[in-house]
Amino acid sequence: MAKRTSIAGRTIATPLILSALLLAFALLAVMVGSKPFNQTIIDIFLRVILVVGLYVFVGNSGVISFGHIGFTCLGAYAAAWLTMPPMMKQTLLPGLPDWLIALQLPYWAGAILAALWAALWAGIFGKVLMRLSGIAASIATFAMLAMINTIYSNWEDVTGATSSVVGIPILRSIWPFLIAAILAVFIAWGHAISRTGLALRAARDEPTAASASGIDLPRERLIAFIVSGAIMGMGGALFAHSIGVVTPDTFYLGLTFITLSMLVVGGMGSLSGAVLGVLILSSLIQALRWLEAGVSIGTSTFAIPNGVQEIALGIVMVAILAFRSAGIMGNRELGWPKARPVAPATTGQQQPELNKGVSK
Amino acid sequence: MSLLALSDVTIRYGRLTAVRNVALTLAEGEVLFITGPNGAGKSSLLRAIAGVTPPAGGRIDFADHDITGRAPEDIARLGLSMVPEGRDVFASLTIEENLMVGAGMHVKESNWRARVTNALEEVYETFPILRDRRHAQAGLLSGGQQQMLVIGRALMTNPRLVAIDEPSLGLAPNITDQVYERLIALQGQRKLTLLIVEQSSTRAMMVGGRMILMRGGEVLIDGDARAMGQSEAMQAAYFGYGEH
Repeated sequence: MAKRTSIAGRTIATPLILSALLLAFALLAVMVGSKPFNQTIIDIFLRVILVVGLYVFVGNSGVISFGHIGFTCLGAYAAAWLTMPPMMKQTLLPGLPDWLIALQLPYWAGAILAALWAALWAGIFGKVLMRLSGIAASIATFAMLAMINTIYSNWEDVTGATSSVVGIPILRSIWPFLIAAILAVFIAWGHAISRTGLALRAARDEPTAASASGIDLPRERLIAFIVSGAIMGMGGALFAHSIGVVTPDTFYLGLTFITLSMLVVGGMGSLSGAVLGVLILSSLIQALRWLEAGVSIGTSTFAIPNGVQEIALGIVMVAILAFRSAGIMGNRELGWPKARPVAPATTGQQQPELNKGVSK
Repeated sequence: MSLLALSDVTIRYGRLTAVRNVALTLAEGEVLFITGPNGAGKSSLLRAIAGVTPPAGGRIDFADHDITGRAPEDIARLGLSMVPEGRDVFASLTIEENLMVGAGMHVKESNWRARVTNALEEVYETFPILRDRRHAQAGLLSGGQQQMLVIGRALMTNPRLVAIDEPSLGLAPNITDQVYERLIALQGQRKLTLLIVEQSSTRAMMVGGRMILMRGGEVLIDGDARAMGQSEAMQAAYFGYGEH
């Protein structure tokens, strides 16, 4: 009986299925074996990390954040500071302290520290921001993003300002990205089913009843903000290693809106939705790109006009939201077909159960 | 010894006085219905007792503590659990998760787990339908099941007094019967004290217990619900004294 009550045991299927799905994408890349396709899959994994990070806060708290890509920016630059060769740092970023210039860590150590660095700043910003709710909170997170962007665009000695910081070691292998994406999924799952995740989701549904149950909303929000900040920071570090170059504007409005739309299309309140939103929209974008580039059928080449990609993407997103306003998954999570008594197992008995439950 | 005692309680919203100098005592294990027409001040009184809206004057004692103007969570900690009107379940959470949250999130994690293990079984025994559908999303339940869930959630803190605002609101009569059957059984089993606001006094007369009738912010009648029947005073209270 006690086993059955454990939320972990009942919901572990979700992260496992999502991980298997990500592994399938990785294997596909290995089988195809082309460099550009490999890079495409790496980009998808990066977006999975970012959107899952966003979900941890936005999905569980219900507060839309426009600021999370700021943590990605912090993580990306932290990775640059920690992993670039000292010679390059000396020339490009002379304002860094000497010990940091001399330091050169492996990418994974850099990514861990980048996550902690972003988490630290999430804690500092969150302490102030988490008392706000609704649109005020959203605008304040946007202000935070703008602040981070402005600082990184102007602090020339330390961030290289708007010019690109080059020389970050590039990772060509798909596996570190897959592992990080799976890690992000498990962290997000662990947070959502924890006591703090439970409290936060309760408060998202019914703030008044939640406070009556003794939930300290600013505190629970802050915890989610820090956890999601860490995931965004890790994503930023790996982002830097995927392209080898960072500029502040890589981590600004464009990335903010694409990650938010993937989350909304997938289903804001669902971890499965976060991952599926990325996989579905990214696949669609990729397919449209191929069509734009031209597909050879026999001797003739078929291509759609440039720009159709954005338009088609917009139409698909509108269509999905028109038919499923809560996103593809809504509030639901993927589970084993058998382990979900919601559908066939109980609906048949629902009537007799109702009577049994209350008439005696 | 009374569990709950109100003396001279007045509640105002701005210039409007919702409750005027109400005095009331409630003994442990008693069932009290607060009835009366719209705007009588029933819900205001309940909200003041639970600490949601502090009274403008008077004093409220619960379990030998002066709780006048105390925060709702403090009052809840003393053993007074309130079920507000409108069945505010945590819609995306499962039944079981709703009940887990109800066990109180301010207590230490180890205490909370112990409380969840103990109280969960008890709530499931009271409302077996909740056990059967424990992993169903609360938002997908019927109105009656949601009402049972919010009552169950209030029971998770093992309270001495449960205050419920209009449990029958929007429910079919037979479902309301079932909810009340469970409540009264609970009151008998564990000496739970019940404070129930209902607009209609018919329900109170059916269930029995003590009933007060409010109108215009004052208590008009206080007595045994069944004995009151359809007395003259009752009708007058509902339909006015002819001043309109």
